[in-house]
Amino acid sequence: MVNDRNSFIFRSLSTLLVILVINFFLPRMMPGDPFSTTSADEVGEEIIVMTEEQHLYYVNYYGLDRPLYEQFLSYMKKLMTGNLGRSIYYKMPVSDVIMLHLPWTILIVVSATVISTISGVILGTLSAKNRKKGSDKIMMTGMIAFAEIPSFLLGLILLLIFSVYFRLFPLAGAVTPFAHYNGPTDQVLDILYHAFLPVLTLSLSQLTGVYLLTRNTLITVTTKDYIRTARAKGLGEKNVWIRHALRNALLPVVTRTGFMIGIMMGGVVLVENVFSYPGIGMTLRSAVVGRDYPLIQGILLVIAISILICNLLVDKIYGKLDPRVVI
Amino acid sequence: MIKDTDDSGNVGILSFIQALNINKTNIINRVNRIGRVNRIGRVNRIGRVNRIGRVNRIGRVNRIGRVNRIDRVNGINKIVSSVSKPFSRFSTEGKIGIFGILCIILMAVFAPVITTYSPQRITGDSLEPPGFGHILGTDELGMDIWSQICYGARMSLTIGLAVAFISGFGGGAIGILAGYIGGYIDQGLMRVIDVTMALPSFPLLIVISAFLGPSILNVILILVLFSWAKPARIARSQTLSLKKNSYIIAARNYGAKPFYLLWRHILPEILPVLFVLVIGISSHAIVAEAGLAFLGLGDPTSKSWGMMLNHATGFRSIYFTPYWQWWLLPPLFMLIFLLLCLAFISRDMERILDPKLKIKKGF
Repeated sequence: MVNDRNSFIFRSLSTLLVILVINFFLPRMMPGDPFSTTSADEVGEEIIVMTEEQHLYYVNYYGLDRPLYEQFLSYMKKLMTGNLGRSIYYKMPVSDVIMLHLPWTILIVVSATVISTISGVILGTLSAKNRKKGSDKIMMTGMIAFAEIPSFLLGLILLLIFSVYFRLFPLAGAVTPFAHYNGPTDQVLDILYHAFLPVLTLSLSQLTGVYLLTRNTLITVTTKDYIRTARAKGLGEKNVWIRHALRNALLPVVTRTGFMIGIMMGGVVLVENVFSYPGIGMTLRSAVVGRDYPLIQGILLVIAISILICNLLVDKIYGKLDPRVVI
Repeated sequence: MIKDTDDSGNVGILSFIQALNINKTNIINRVNRIGRVNRIGRVNRIGRVNRIGRVNRIGRVNRIGRVNRIDRVNGINKIVSSVSKPFSRFSTEGKIGIFGILCIILMAVFAPVITTYSPQRITGDSLEPPGFGHILGTDELGMDIWSQICYGARMSLTIGLAVAFISGFGGGAIGILAGYIGGYIDQGLMRVIDVTMALPSFPLLIVISAFLGPSILNVILILVLFSWAKPARIARSQTLSLKKNSYIIAARNYGAKPFYLLWRHILPEILPVLFVLVIGISSHAIVAEAGLAFLGLGDPTSKSWGMMLNHATGFRSIYFTPYWQWWLLPPLFMLIFLLLCLAFISRDMERILDPKLKIKKGF
């Protein structure tokens, strides 16, 4: 177990290191240099004209005249102090830009995680209870077909149905622009109203994984001896399912949640763009379109670190839930 | 087992097979002993032992080996049945999947025949609704949408197949070699695989293609870089467990060279698993390409389905006009259809190749 944990931490650290190295070398590997593209006007919608002063700032920021290892060290030192550089487009520190948009992403990712986990567990339990009946089969087939549709295509379909055809939900944004709220409840309702479709999309795309996992582990757990013992003791069916079977079947679901957040962070970039939701996914797209390289790198780093933190958290929670795991 | 040997017309080794079955722990001793006694017929004997290994394998694992043998031994009749037999094992969903994929492949191959307009040229008015001239209407530049769909199929299929085959078989080869060689190389490779699988692939994909610039080759290369790890890992673990099988030890004791062992005994066992993985990887690659193109990171000169989505959703006020009905829906439906077909096939193949799973037809 100790070995297992060490390798887990080793893996997280080396993953982070790889991302840092990629982040460091990418601008240096590019054909030409990043400043020639920012000062040229092939950018598309936003034409960025760089003054000589700005150009010097970026050369200085990347320190391209110094040796490579020195550049890497100073890059790491800047990262440690939370300095991610300045965004070219927003003309403010990258960390501020990210902090401005990250809460929206966290809002939809966390609520989608919660919703898909809870509903997946409930549906999986129902399915495992009704195994070998018709309803289980129909549910399985439907769920599996659902799982194959990538989240951004699913999002487009939901957008077309609910926002465009029925006009039930807003097409874009996280809040109604220029709205006057009568109180905090009004504001919360407005935010929920705008977040509904993105959250629905993300949860639907993650639902099947949780559902299948719950169903399969429940089916294996119910064949165990202690379930028979619980039934023999005369416990009610509800008690057996919830306190004995489900509790043990939930362990792999917890691990799955960690992976789910990792997958979702990839999907959320696209989903936010489908719904024009102002999280870091949309910021990433606009940074890509505007060739705002410091911002692109900063967002990548934030996404990677948040995934690693989630995995570590899940590891900790797992240790609490399962007493057999020694921390 | 006995019937299999009869088929291939080699009754002489029957007793040997029975010996193998009865006393598995003694195989190596036995093989060695026999080898020592008949030294003259060495070449023949190696052949024979391999055959035993093969019969053993076919008996144990599954139908693929059997289909191959029928091909070899009998005539055209059997070839026909060997094609139709696995097909009949697919469930209804699997058959729909194969049929759908065939349709899309035909569409891609015969794109110039079934379309009347070039996808890159302005051939009509801007945003014409579907009608006689343009079956599915035109986009905002007046380009035919039906031709864009047909030529876009080429793009999706090319990227899907290229990425899947390179990373599936390349990664598989790396995994087999690492598993066979073992030692430090194996350990090192496992670390690399762990890290590769832990990387957040899609955000990295976006960033790398933003930096390296959008071209088909770049997209394929980056996708390969992120998808070789899974087949390598599975091929490695399969090789590790195969290596311990008695028929492979027997063959090695008869002097089989590593390359021969890998080619004749290990690769045929792993190939079916790799095929299932290849289908999975290709659908991942198609999604990733569509996603990148949707974000505007596709090859700007190509007309892929993702690019069509990008252009359509980028068009101002598309949702307030009826244009989305013929501009946004066709690429959306084609992508989902293609992905569902691939998923059906891979699910069915998994079921067929692994009898242990015992999933009933229709999932």
